[in-house]
Amino acid sequence: MIDPITGLGLVALMGALATIAGAAEDLESDVGSQSNPNSQVQLAAQMDFPHRIFNKAISGEPPAYGLWCAAGATVASVLLAQNMSVIFAIAIGSFVGAILLGLYSVTAHMGRTTSQKRFKQPIYMDMVIGHLPPIMGHGYIAVFCIVSFSYIMDHMLGHPFPLPLLAFLWGITAGAIGSSTGDVHYGAEREFQNQPFGSGLNAAQSGNIVRKAESGLRNGMDNVWACAKFGGPVTGLALGFTVFFDNWRSTVFSGMNAVIAGLIIVLILILANRLVEVQARKAYGPYKDEEGGTEA
Amino acid sequence: MSTAAGGPATGGLPPNTIIAIGVIGGLAGIYLTMLNQTFNTTIFSVMGGIGSIFAVVWGADAVRRVCSYGLGTGVPSIGMVALGMGVVAAIFGLIIPETGILPIPAILGPVISFIVAALVGLIIGLLSNKVLNMNIPIMEKSMIEIAGAGCLVMMGLSASIAGSFAFNDAILPSVVSTGYIAIVFIGGAMTILHPFNANLGPDETQFRTLYVAIEKAALTMVIAGFASLTAIDAVSAALTVLVGLAIFLVYFDKFMKSVHREAYKVVGTGLLPSAEELE
Repeated sequence: MIDPITGLGLVALMGALATIAGAAEDLESDVGSQSNPNSQVQLAAQMDFPHRIFNKAISGEPPAYGLWCAAGATVASVLLAQNMSVIFAIAIGSFVGAILLGLYSVTAHMGRTTSQKRFKQPIYMDMVIGHLPPIMGHGYIAVFCIVSFSYIMDHMLGHPFPLPLLAFLWGITAGAIGSSTGDVHYGAEREFQNQPFGSGLNAAQSGNIVRKAESGLRNGMDNVWACAKFGGPVTGLALGFTVFFDNWRSTVFSGMNAVIAGLIIVLILILANRLVEVQARKAYGPYKDEEGGTEA
Repeated sequence: MSTAAGGPATGGLPPNTIIAIGVIGGLAGIYLTMLNQTFNTTIFSVMGGIGSIFAVVWGADAVRRVCSYGLGTGVPSIGMVALGMGVVAAIFGLIIPETGILPIPAILGPVISFIVAALVGLIIGLLSNKVLNMNIPIMEKSMIEIAGAGCLVMMGLSASIAGSFAFNDAILPSVVSTGYIAIVFIGGAMTILHPFNANLGPDETQFRTLYVAIEKAALTMVIAGFASLTAIDAVSAALTVLVGLAIFLVYFDKFMKSVHREAYKVVGTGLLPSAEELE
């Protein structure tokens, strides 16, 4: 067992790694419009709005990140078993994870676009080639950080699970947080910037996503530029807090005390969420029609 | 989201042919790893990986058939449950003969796993249709198929990592304890659930979807081969990796050719289609 100060240092390091991982994970999904925003990208071409936005419909983010992280951690733990240094093993493992991500992205984008033949959506090869490096780059950073903090958990904090299983579970967590936290900023806001703020998505506007950028046609790079300002960092914070608080309570407390500490943290979060919700309702109120009366 | 209209999937190979390919190919691949014990080698571990590719083709086709009822991307979520049960069934079936509780020869392990997976799939299908009221005509059958195919994929990949499907002697130490079960599970699940998702749309074709299935299953086989370095010797591991890479390259090329042939158009770069062009 390591001493508590070192333990807390490691927990802080894990939190930092998780913050970077979360931000990179969300931005990676935004480059390719994976997960929730994807349905509107898919719909756009079918509603006669052909576009130049990457359609990366691999699967939901949680299973996808489970796969990249499990693959990265599997390769890393094979290399570790061959006595390779930790950093190199994780770096090579993450590289394999990023290549997998790239290959899945190609089949998803090209397959889906081909299946939209009757809507006359062309496949632009410059887009495929141009979007893959940012996708794989962000994916690499995310996988590297997730496998790294899983390694710390496994080899230094003495978690009973083996490395690939831990990385798999944290990959799913990262994907789930990226999908629920960060996507809102891209899907509801960036894709529908041409609608009045807070108007919700009218069914008539389905698929009518913003297709033109400040200059030229909008693509995944323009979207990730916008998301890097808020959605990505917020996702990073969410994953970072999750990893930090979860490991902090089990490092500082032990046995039943750790469980109670966990319950208290969850209670505080529920209260904080409620306060934010009440404040938002007070500030913005119910939707108003044009005369200023309230609508349901 | 229902981009593929509600109705049975059409075209290409009939379902029964694919089921036969999946069941026979998958089980044959798993059983051929027994040649390892016969010849006292580990070189036949590659057969497990090849068997898993056959099972993936079946699973991906089953996903394709059930998804074309308008469930779209919703099926991967239910499919995950079926595949999770597939891995539990795989372990259950392989471990039962070895516990000695029932007088079953160990050689029947994979078949028992397969039957248990099919039963669990049936229960999940019934729950989806009767309790959740999804009312999709082929739901029960498809869930049986997805769980069964998933179970075969998990056993095939595990056997190719461990060199044998004996649970206590091979799979427990080299696949479960090392944590490689994670990549076996999610790798197998994604190769079954991804192909139709990646080709979703009204102009989807069965062959393009199955090319993606084969090519992604081969990639998972490559990773399984690399993982087997810690369980079996380097030559056998390298063989699994190389065979996987070769299959991947062939079928990735087939996929790309099919995209170039079937897409509206593939251009280097360009503006959006004009209003006249869209009419």
